[in-house]
Amino acid sequence: MISLQTLVAEVKNLKPIPAVAGQLLAVAEHPDSSMADIAKVIQYDPVITAGVLRTCNSAYFGMKNPVESIKDAVNLLGIDQVIELALLKSGAQTLGGSQKGYGMDEGDMWRYSVSSAVLAKQVAVRLGLKGKNTIFTAALIKDMGKIVLEKYVADASGKITDLVANQHFSFQEAEKKALGIDHAELGAMIAKMWKFSPRMVNIIRHHHLSDETKMADKQIAAVYLADCLSMMLGNGVGADGLAYRFKDQVMTQLGISAVDMSMIIADFGINMQEVETLLQMA
Amino acid sequence: MKQIVGVADMKVSNNPGESIITYSLGSCIGLVIYDPAVKVGGILHFMLPDSSIDKQKAAARPYMFADSGIPRLFKSAYQLGGDKKRMNVYVAGGAEILDQQGFFNIGKRNYMALKKMFFKNKVMISKQNVGGNVNRTVRIEIATGDIYVKTSGSGEVKI
Repeated sequence: MISLQTLVAEVKNLKPIPAVAGQLLAVAEHPDSSMADIAKVIQYDPVITAGVLRTCNSAYFGMKNPVESIKDAVNLLGIDQVIELALLKSGAQTLGGSQKGYGMDEGDMWRYSVSSAVLAKQVAVRLGLKGKNTIFTAALIKDMGKIVLEKYVADASGKITDLVANQHFSFQEAEKKALGIDHAELGAMIAKMWKFSPRMVNIIRHHHLSDETKMADKQIAAVYLADCLSMMLGNGVGADGLAYRFKDQVMTQLGISAVDMSMIIADFGINMQEVETLLQMA
Repeated sequence: MKQIVGVADMKVSNNPGESIITYSLGSCIGLVIYDPAVKVGGILHFMLPDSSIDKQKAAARPYMFADSGIPRLFKSAYQLGGDKKRMNVYVAGGAEILDQQGFFNIGKRNYMALKKMFFKNKVMISKQNVGGNVNRTVRIEIATGDIYVKTSGSGEVKI
């Protein structure tokens, strides 16, 4: 078992997601916010602004003239796209790197996170869910608990592997059994320490739906589904593989059929070039 | 030279200096074929069983689906001199999440779609590494036809 104090100290050593991400979410999800309000929040952070502009000017977006300001970017790509780019950029540094304990090489977690976020957006749009920026961001950062937990997972890998392979545990259940905490709980703790909204903390905490009562919350259900899809598609998946639980009832809850699921996968396949472009934001 | 097969993609080669690889197969399937007589090989990485869900997408990305991708892989190998009767066939992927059942089990449905096509066209699978809850990367060397599979978290193994 790892002591809470040890974990808190480790979280304090992480390079946090910039505060602008939380502010941006608050403004973006507020119905009275104007585009100018949103642009102002992004401009406040020069690193994120530069990252957004660089991506806007990449070949993928095919701009005739260079995009030189957030205002230009909003006019040309629309506010939703600019918000997403800023949110992605804000997570890039924290989610980069390798997590050897999970068998993830350099960039794997980033690939997995970006894929999950893009899938979550597709799910949110398809179902017309509220709070799509929150859903997108939660899907992006939901696994950040793994960044801290990975070395403990490495130390306990024999036990965890045995629980998963021979005792019908999911990987998350095995983490909890072997270490006393799982990556979803730890991710929620990190989000709380970094002052994300209680909403965000809650989605991260329950993104594997180990507490099934939480599936009534459509934002949690959407992030859960995006995570399942991301696992199935395999981009950046680690040694934990697909060893998590699939809950049919979530699909009923969300009104997702097997055909819808296939359509989301097909859309993702068509948009691979977009995903590759977004990955360059790291 | 390493040729990379992306998601919903396919490559064939008869260049003995090349290997072909596809990464991170979850519920997707990596279908590898090789004709040792002419040293022609290829990999298809498909995502879904059936193109009838979206004909437009199938036209744009035929390698996304089993039914539209598999015939194209074989035909591309034939164009380089490959022959169906001599073809070694290896299948990897088709993994599933724990408790994933029925129509939601895309990994199993991908594998069933492939088996159905093979049965109809009298193609035998030589070896396979499918199902389970693991992520796989598969690679073939064109000079020898040697196939290697790597499961996430462990090393590469020659099969």
